[in-house]
Amino acid sequence: MSNELFVQVLQRLSRVPGVRGAMIVDIVAGVPVVAEVAEGVQPAPVAALAASLFQRTARAAEGVAFGKLDTVQLEADAGHVVVADAGETAVVAVAERGAQLGLIRLEVHRAAEALR
Amino acid sequence: MKREDLDRVVAALRDPTARFVQEARVRTCIVVNGAGQVLGQHGFTRSYQLVNIAALAAAAHAAAGALARITEAERWTHLHNAGERQQMFLAPLRTPFEELILVAIFDEASSLGMVQMFFDRLVAEVQALPEFRRARATSDASSFERDLEAGASRILSTDGPGEG
Repeated sequence: MSNELFVQVLQRLSRVPGVRGAMIVDIVAGVPVVAEVAEGVQPAPVAALAASLFQRTARAAEGVAFGKLDTVQLEADAGHVVVADAGETAVVAVAERGAQLGLIRLEVHRAAEALR
Repeated sequence: MKREDLDRVVAALRDPTARFVQEARVRTCIVVNGAGQVLGQHGFTRSYQLVNIAALAAAAHAAAGALARITEAERWTHLHNAGERQQMFLAPLRTPFEELILVAIFDEASSLGMVQMFFDRLVAEVQALPEFRRARATSDASSFERDLEAGASRILSTDGPGEG
């Protein structure tokens, strides 16, 4: 998988209004592979926590026989984090509270599909 | 580090390293100084493991520092070894007094990113400890040997350093 593809995928995702950070994360190591983030968003801690959240939720989903986990969406007071499975990696989007979540989810899934 | 300073530093490191172990979900953790003195540990049950890892960590730290200088990288941030079942993270832990070394061993319950993130917090916490400002360095060969013995005697005592 080329670095060019990673960059293309992230650029597209980070252009969606309200997205403050887009990154591709090594899901096992919990470290960012490529990241495009606004000031104030720290890619390394976000990558570590997003990967951990995704892995733990995936284990819980397996535990209740829900099958393979596709997407995790976290909603908080000030924003959203969307994490989508892309094989060995995951696509992570950090968005403002008022962002168009439907559009962001669509772009995150497109990005994940392109990386699989 | 002198024996009286060692006791104080060991006590001061206990809580921060215990929090690191808990939050980063690492299995075992050891903090040593450049001379191989053990200043804190969590999860080890055998003293020979501690002694061996302390010595190897000090050697790896020295080798990584030399490699960084040769390659003009100046400073190194961490070494990571990903094994099949367990992973090892070895990093310099900078304090106002001296550079310590942390070795953490973890499995699938954690990740490199999580360990890095909580290690950064640990560094900030340790750097603020007043105990490191008061500690005094040893300088000659005989005191170096005495210090190593002081570290070893702590390890081999019934309640090892920083056991959590």
